[in-house]
Amino acid sequence: MAYVATRGGERAIEQSERLFRSAMGEITEDRVAEIKKAMPYLIDRVMGEASLYDEDLAALALAQTGGELFEAVLVLRAWRTTQPRLHVAEPIGQDELFTHRRISAAFKDIPGGQVLGPTLDYSHRVLATEVLNGSTYAPEKVDAADKPSPAYQPSVAVWQAENDLLDLPERDETRPEDIPDVTREPLLFPSKRAHTLQSLARAETGGALALGYAAMRGYGQAHPTVNELRLAEAEITVTHPKGTQFSAGRVKVSQAEVVSKKGEKLELGFAATMGWNEVKCISAATLDLNSKGAEKGSATEEEFYLYHTEGVESSGFCIHFKLPHYVTFQSSLDAMRNAKAKKSPKPEPAE
Amino acid sequence: MSLSTLTKDWEPMSYGFLDASAKREIRRKMLKAVAVPGCQMPYASREVPMARGWGTGGLQVSLTLINPKTTVKVIDQGADDSVNAASIRRFLSRVSGAPTTLDTLDADLIQSRHRIPEEKLREDQVLVLQVPNPEPLRPVQPNMSIARQMHADADYGRMWLQLYEQIVRSGRVMQGASYPSMVNGRHVMTPSPIPRWDVPKLHMAKHLTILSAGREKRIHAVPPYTRVEPLVFDDVPYKVEEHGDLTCFRSGAKGFFMNEIPQDDGSSTYEISDSEYGVKTIKQAEGTETAFGESWYQDGEMS
Amino acid sequence: MLSAPIPSVEETRANQAFDALLGSLSRPGQIRKLPGAGEASIIEALLDRECRVFCADPTLMPQVLESGAMVADIPEADHVFLGTMQNAESLLSVSQGSDLYPDDGATVIVRTVLGAGPKVRLSGPGIQTHQDISISGLPNGFWQLRQDLIRYPMGFDLFFVDGDQVLGVPRSTKVEEL
Repeated sequence: MAYVATRGGERAIEQSERLFRSAMGEITEDRVAEIKKAMPYLIDRVMGEASLYDEDLAALALAQTGGELFEAVLVLRAWRTTQPRLHVAEPIGQDELFTHRRISAAFKDIPGGQVLGPTLDYSHRVLATEVLNGSTYAPEKVDAADKPSPAYQPSVAVWQAENDLLDLPERDETRPEDIPDVTREPLLFPSKRAHTLQSLARAETGGALALGYAAMRGYGQAHPTVNELRLAEAEITVTHPKGTQFSAGRVKVSQAEVVSKKGEKLELGFAATMGWNEVKCISAATLDLNSKGAEKGSATEEEFYLYHTEGVESSGFCIHFKLPHYVTFQSSLDAMRNAKAKKSPKPEPAE
Repeated sequence: MSLSTLTKDWEPMSYGFLDASAKREIRRKMLKAVAVPGCQMPYASREVPMARGWGTGGLQVSLTLINPKTTVKVIDQGADDSVNAASIRRFLSRVSGAPTTLDTLDADLIQSRHRIPEEKLREDQVLVLQVPNPEPLRPVQPNMSIARQMHADADYGRMWLQLYEQIVRSGRVMQGASYPSMVNGRHVMTPSPIPRWDVPKLHMAKHLTILSAGREKRIHAVPPYTRVEPLVFDDVPYKVEEHGDLTCFRSGAKGFFMNEIPQDDGSSTYEISDSEYGVKTIKQAEGTETAFGESWYQDGEMS
Repeated sequence: MLSAPIPSVEETRANQAFDALLGSLSRPGQIRKLPGAGEASIIEALLDRECRVFCADPTLMPQVLESGAMVADIPEADHVFLGTMQNAESLLSVSQGSDLYPDDGATVIVRTVLGAGPKVRLSGPGIQTHQDISISGLPNGFWQLRQDLIRYPMGFDLFFVDGDQVLGVPRSTKVEEL
C-alpha cells in the first residue's frame, strides 16, 4: 500500500471549515444590517481593534466568524492591509470633536459641563427575561434637556495647564503624511509616540484591561484619576488636490485623559481609539500614565504592554500551539533520554 | 502627469495578495538580511489572511518571491500533507497561480515549518523557514530591547553560561530544536525550531535560506556558503538526535530524522519525518522509477 | 470568487528585478540580469514613500519622485544612486546604520563596466572559496575606502549596474585588489 495520500489533509481542512460555517447558515445583507444596528458597541470594539472604520465591513466580519472576536478582527485587518492609502486626513483637536458624552471624575463641574450622554453606568443590570416570553422590550423615550449641552468642549487638561497644574505635551508639528504608521513600519523601542498611541488604539480590549487593571491594583506607580472620558464623533477633513478642504464624513471616537499627582504637578496619561470603548480607553490611558520610568519587564513598561495587548498577534500565537510540534518535541525527548541514560547507564540487555 | 499614469486599474486582490508597497518593504529587508547573515532585521509584517503564529512570516516572504513560474513546495514537520502545510500551499497557489509540488527536487521555493528536507538543496532553490521566535537570547533575556543591545555588543556570555550550566547539571546540552548557532562568526541566531539534525544542513549550504517571523516582525537569512556553527564547547561535541539507526516502518527508509509513534504495548515505532522521501522510497520499492537527490545524511551520518 | 491571478507588467518587472538583486547579493561576484537596462527596474522593485533617496543622476529623478520616495542628502538616504562615480569621497557620508540597527545601512547603486578592467577577489558569505571579478569605472581608492569605512555589522551594500547586468557586494564581503 502506498503512503497516505497528501490530499487527505486538504479534504480534512476543507470539511472542518464547512462544519464551522454551516452552524451560521446563510449570511445575507439583512443579517449584516441587523448586526450593525443591534450591536453598535460590539461593532465599535471590532473596528477599534482592527483599526478599520467601516461599520458594514465590521458587521460582515462578525457575521462571517460567528462572533469569534479574534477572528473577526483578523479578517478585517487582513482586508485593511491590502487597501491603498489614498489620503491622510487633517489632524483633529479635542475641542473640535462633536461630543456626545464627556465626564470628569476630577472635578464636580468642568468648563463645558459634565455631559452624561448615553451610558449604562447607572442602570440596574437586570435581564429583560420577558422578551423570551414573547414581550417586546421597548426603550423608553428620551426627554431632551431644556438647554442642549455644547457640542464642542475644551479638554480638562488644558484648564489644568492654564492653572499650572500640568505640563501639556509639546505640540507635535509633524506633517500628517509623515506621522509614523505602525501598520507600515515595525514597532521598535523606545517606541515613537505615534506608534505607542496607535498600538494602544488597536489593542485588544481584554488585554489592555488586564494589564491596566494590574497597574490600577498597585502593580504600577501611579493611581489614575479620570480627568475626562469622552465619546465623540470626529470630522474627517481631507484636502482636494486643488486645495479645497472638505469633510469626508464623521467617525465615532473615544478618548480618555487620566492624571496622577507627581510632585507638585499632575502627570497625564492618554489614549484614544476609533469607536466607543470606555474600558479600553481608561485602561490604555492608565498604562500610558504608568509607563514613564517603569521597570524593565514590568506590566507597565511600554515594550511589555504594547507587545502583550496586540490581539491579533497574541491570539494567533496562542492558537498556534494547536499545530503539530512533533519535531521539536522529538528533539527534546532525544536530549532528555540521552541525559537520563548518561546518569544511569543501562545494563546490557539479557539474552 | 495624469491620474491614469499615477494609478492603476482596480483589482479585487493584488497579485500574490500583498500590495506593492508591502512587497517592497519585505524586499528591502530581505536584502539587508542577506547582507548581514544571521542578524534579525525588523519589518512591518502585514496581516495576511492567516492567524499570527501560523506561518505568516514565511508566507509574506514566499508571496514576495513568488511568480507564476515558481514551483512551490510547502511542508510542516517535514510533511506535505500536514493540514497547515496544505492550507498554506493552497493559499500560495490560489493567489499566485504558481504550480505546486511535493518533490523537493522539483521545487524552486520551499516553505517549511520546523524541518529542512533530507535531500540536498541546490543553488537555484530558496528555503523559507517559518520562525515563531527569532530571538536566541529570549531564554536568558526576554526583553527585546536589551537582547538587541546584546547582539550589537556580540555579548553572548549569558548564552554560553546557560549551555555550560546544562552540561554541568545534565551532562549534555539540553537544547532540543532551534539550537543556537553562530552565523558568519558574528551573530548568534535561532535556526527556527529545526531539530539539531537539520542545523548542519545550513552550514556552507548551496542554497539561500530566509527565516521570517511574522508575529515577532523579524527577518534573518543564511546566504549560501555561509558558516553556521552550533554553539559548542571544544570538549563537548555537537550531537544530533540519535536517529541514524532508526528505520521507517512504512517505507523502510533508514538513517533519517523520524517521528516516534507510541504503540499500545509500550514500545515505539518510527516513520520518516520527510514524508515525500518516504513516498519516494515506497515507490521505488514497488518498482516505479523514482529520482532521488543526494541526501545530506548517508547511512545516518552527515556527509 | 477568484480567477487565476495574473501579475501586471509592473509586478512582473519588479519581481524579476528583485530576483536579480537577491541572487546577486546572495552570491557576490555572480552577475544577474535585470529586466531592463539601468536603475529603472531597481527603483521600481525597492522604492516607495517609505524611502529616502539620494540621486546623483538627474535623469533618474522623475522616476524616483514618482515612486513617492523623499529626496535626501547622502547621509540621510537609505538608497544612494551614485550614477557613474567621479571620486570615491561620495562614500564617506553614506549611512552605515547603527550597531543596534545595521539594517539602516544604505543600499548604494553605482554604474560601472562589468567584466573588464581591474580584477578584485571576493570572499565571504555567498562565496564557496573566492570569486574574482573584473570591474572598471570605479574611482581610485574605492575599494580601500570601502574597507576603511565598513565597521561590520554596520556598513553599506553595493550594487554595480552595467546595462541590464547587476552585481552585488554586500558589506559582509571581503574584497582584495589583485
